[in-house]
Amino acid sequence: MSRWAKQIQMQLRIPAIGVSSANVVHYGLDYDFKYSNGMPVRYVAVPFPFTGQPKAVDVGYVTGKDVLSGQPLMTAVIKALTDPLTAEEKISGAPEGQASDTRLLPSDTDENLRRLFEDKGWTDYNWVKLPTEKLVTEMLNGTSRKPGEVIKSIDITGGSRQLTVEKVAIAAVMAGASPDHFPLILALATQAPFGNSTSSMANMIVINGPIRKRLNFNCGTNALGPYNRSNAVVGRAFTIVSKIVGDLRNNVNAWESLGSNLQYNNLCFAENEENLPEGWDPLHVQMGFKPNDDVVSVGIGWTSVSSVGGSQSLYPTHFLIRDYMRSLSASGSAATILMDPTVAALLKDTHGFKTKAQLAEWFSQNVEKTAGSYWGNGVIQSTAVPFALQGLEPYASWKKLPDDTLIKPFTNPGAIRVVVTGGKVQTTWFVTDFGLRRGLKVDDWA
Amino acid sequence: MERRKMLTMLGLSPALVAGYPAYARTAVKAVPDSSSGDGLITVLNPGIPNKLATRYPLAPPLDNLEDKTIYMINLSWEGPDAGNYFYGAMREWLAQRYPGIKTSLKVTADGMFGLDPAILKEMTANKADGAIVGVAG
Repeated sequence: MSRWAKQIQMQLRIPAIGVSSANVVHYGLDYDFKYSNGMPVRYVAVPFPFTGQPKAVDVGYVTGKDVLSGQPLMTAVIKALTDPLTAEEKISGAPEGQASDTRLLPSDTDENLRRLFEDKGWTDYNWVKLPTEKLVTEMLNGTSRKPGEVIKSIDITGGSRQLTVEKVAIAAVMAGASPDHFPLILALATQAPFGNSTSSMANMIVINGPIRKRLNFNCGTNALGPYNRSNAVVGRAFTIVSKIVGDLRNNVNAWESLGSNLQYNNLCFAENEENLPEGWDPLHVQMGFKPNDDVVSVGIGWTSVSSVGGSQSLYPTHFLIRDYMRSLSASGSAATILMDPTVAALLKDTHGFKTKAQLAEWFSQNVEKTAGSYWGNGVIQSTAVPFALQGLEPYASWKKLPDDTLIKPFTNPGAIRVVVTGGKVQTTWFVTDFGLRRGLKVDDWA
Repeated sequence: MERRKMLTMLGLSPALVAGYPAYARTAVKAVPDSSSGDGLITVLNPGIPNKLATRYPLAPPLDNLEDKTIYMINLSWEGPDAGNYFYGAMREWLAQRYPGIKTSLKVTADGMFGLDPAILKEMTANKADGAIVGVAG
């Protein structure tokens, strides 16, 4: 919204104001203005929530009050378009008072430094290892990259920040990682900051290749549970580096309404490649990597639905997975099915799915939901409605359908990932809405 | 006496005195540290300072809304419906009070994140006088 208002004013030299609910406006007036937009856009605020309300409520906001000023809303709109500019609103050019980067913090006690780290929002509020120069230097020995190398520049959350190898090493130390983990954490850090939106999203990290064994990642029993150091510290490192580089602070620029507990570890686990059925390639091989490549794949999603119990012969497993997939948004056609090796074996040996791709294709063809349910999702509204408005198919046609018409929302089977993990204890599976992006080679960061 | 040690003995946090927020309320414990020997630890700064954005002035305001062309841009926050309802009512309100006003409601083709060049082009061609952008929340 602020970018639009800024663009219009710069390009057309006419006033452009923003209208939004108060929480978005406060972000626009403060953090976004100071660190990202640089233009003191004038705003008028409506009550929250705005979307999802009956028409009469949204219409009524026009004759209601501006939440910011308490004036009648339309009075505030007119004033925002016509009031003379203040001196503050005429300022242009480079700002004064840029903060400088201080490599070392002033020496202090362990306790005081821990409190500083928490108050700054640099931790996940669990115990961190303090990043002394010695520990960070040791961590940097895990890579040939130079400490000052910028691996990513971030400006999406407001505030231009450069993430260096050394800053990632600091986060890795804090998370409890070892130098052996560092190339993997560097690769992960290129994906930071993690997904962070009002929709309360989370992330998934999947490890493939020989690195699983070399660093003792868990891909067996409790692969997704708190029972393994590498799974724990690598997942946690992604959280800490994301918070640091994203400057993510609650109610400042982290606005996840419910938030996600998955952000503590980001579902970090390894695929059980040794127990894949014959013909079922590991995730990274499906992505085009060699079997001996060490690869980390990261994705964004929100939720999962568990089979709860084991697979039953009464109703084929893939039928139940299909049914549960109907509850996913199908945003980007993405889904990731996590399954125990025994489920994979059943699907191959009993039900004839010779490859993961064949199974994904079956889901793409057989998962159906109503158009009303599809469009009823807020993320779909935000992402797929623009496609429909541009006339892109199938969205343009789906938008015209009656609500009770069935559609097949997983249009791209390639976005339906199947990852095998677990310890062959129960024929359990999870259906998730995570969309895994193409993996990253760890060796590139060694 | 070394300044840092003196501050510590007084119960003050050197970090506080150096401008970092405040931890003076904590009595300093004599926790030995192999790196310093005085119970204090030196660590690297995890933080990455934000860079203040270059400032841009607002465009000149309108003197009034009479006979002006105002664009209402619907960013489709969680879909276009709510914004359309809201802007529709706003257009009616303005039309009743400013008979000469022209309003145009546009839904962005790129959703809430993209800038829609076609709308900007149309606004330029139609000599738009002002714009209202929203509605999020």
